[in-house]
Amino acid sequence: MKHIIKLSVNGEEYEVFTEIHKTLLEVLREDLGLTGTKRGCDLGSCGACTVLIDEKPCLSCLTLAIDAQGKKIITIEGLATDGTLHPLQKAFAQKGAIQCGFCTPGMILTAKAFLDENPNPSEEEAKMAISGNLCRCTGYVKIVEAILSVTIK
Amino acid sequence: MRLPRFEYFKPKTLKEAVKLLTADPKGTVLLSGGTDLLVNMKHGLIQPKRMINLKAIPKSAYIRDEKDGLRIGALTTLHEIASSPMVQEKFPALIQASKEVAAYALQMMGTIGGNLCQGNRCRFYNQSAFWRSVRPPCHKAGGKICYVAPKSKECHSAYCGDIAPVLIALNAQMKVLGAEGERVFPLKKLYTQNGNRPLSLKKGEILKEILIPPSSGKTLYLKWRLRNSLEFPIISLALHLERDGKQQIKKSRIIFGAVGPGPVEAALAEKMLKTGPLDERMIEKVSSQAVKEISPMRTSLHSPSYKRRMAGILLKQGLEEIMNCGIRNAECGIL
Repeated sequence: MKHIIKLSVNGEEYEVFTEIHKTLLEVLREDLGLTGTKRGCDLGSCGACTVLIDEKPCLSCLTLAIDAQGKKIITIEGLATDGTLHPLQKAFAQKGAIQCGFCTPGMILTAKAFLDENPNPSEEEAKMAISGNLCRCTGYVKIVEAILSVTIK
Repeated sequence: MRLPRFEYFKPKTLKEAVKLLTADPKGTVLLSGGTDLLVNMKHGLIQPKRMINLKAIPKSAYIRDEKDGLRIGALTTLHEIASSPMVQEKFPALIQASKEVAAYALQMMGTIGGNLCQGNRCRFYNQSAFWRSVRPPCHKAGGKICYVAPKSKECHSAYCGDIAPVLIALNAQMKVLGAEGERVFPLKKLYTQNGNRPLSLKKGEILKEILIPPSSGKTLYLKWRLRNSLEFPIISLALHLERDGKQQIKKSRIIFGAVGPGPVEAALAEKMLKTGPLDERMIEKVSSQAVKEISPMRTSLHSPSYKRRMAGILLKQGLEEIMNCGIRNAECGIL
């Protein structure tokens, strides 16, 4: 049975007429057209679908859309403000931390949540924080460099 | 992979949730973090008619320090536990175990109650419907065979949770709410050691709270896995020791994870630890005894003999750490 689900995504309010068993990932991509959030393993193992729900990293493939009602959802599309990239987005571009780009949205959102919580992490802590986000291109070196470049020193 | 269809409920109280669950316990699942349940549903391993979301129940996530110990609400996330100064001060091993579960985002989503009640795992069971379709279903999937031990009449799936071994070692109690009211029992009794039906919860019962009594001594959690994140354990060990001020052990718990259908206690090795001072000879003796008390199966890619060997090595490592820490901290009151 279909229901109306109200979602707040990137500061905008949406009403979606959709099935209750749909995941947040499916609603974001298929109903709202926000395809920046990627479908990777779809089983919670790769981190490609990470979004921020109330500023915490969440795997949207393992979150029911209906369960995200009334919460503040941020996807990669909502990270830049007034056309200016978030410092992490800039750092990823400048350090060459992107190759195919598939893991990047999840990687950046996870890193954002982590740095908000721990603004001055060690390299080891940063690596641990993104250990649930798989990248098959870069070998992680430049990603870790990019994350550490925006920490408070 | 799409989730199957289900009827959805979001009760506002735990009592209401119990009522809903009691109405159809077999066809209903409980949603907390969803990191285990939704994966199993996507794989077609569970096809519930109804889902009860517990997350809207107020005051179900908390960490409280009370006279009789630390009380943790079942819906408290692993990240909340891992970042709690109160837990850090009283039970650092629980922090360590919470941080060892999966990875950052999954710790944010996963709850302690969900972690304790997670499904057992097996390399023949935790697979997609397509992967499993080439052969008849196993015991756990409703069939009549076990692919791990083909002659066996029971399911040998392994309990792979990280939190339960530590909490059992700390003698934690569970509070559950059912149709007949509340019930408190030791966490160890939650696990039936039956792979097909691993939890002893009665019809309609829902986990409400975990109580960890005050404890002296030292607790450790050691997890052996393929890489330092995300993975379930190949084998894990929770170790709790209390000494009488000198070298003599007065209380010991040795709990292994991922080597049986529930957390496995090496009771004879625990007794052996109390028979003499903790020295290298004792460590050697106890480690070889503990290995005899577990019977891991080929539920993961690793052979049972490898797991047994690693069990001995982990225990040795843990006991050595405590022995050396005791020498370093002879007067610091840790032991």
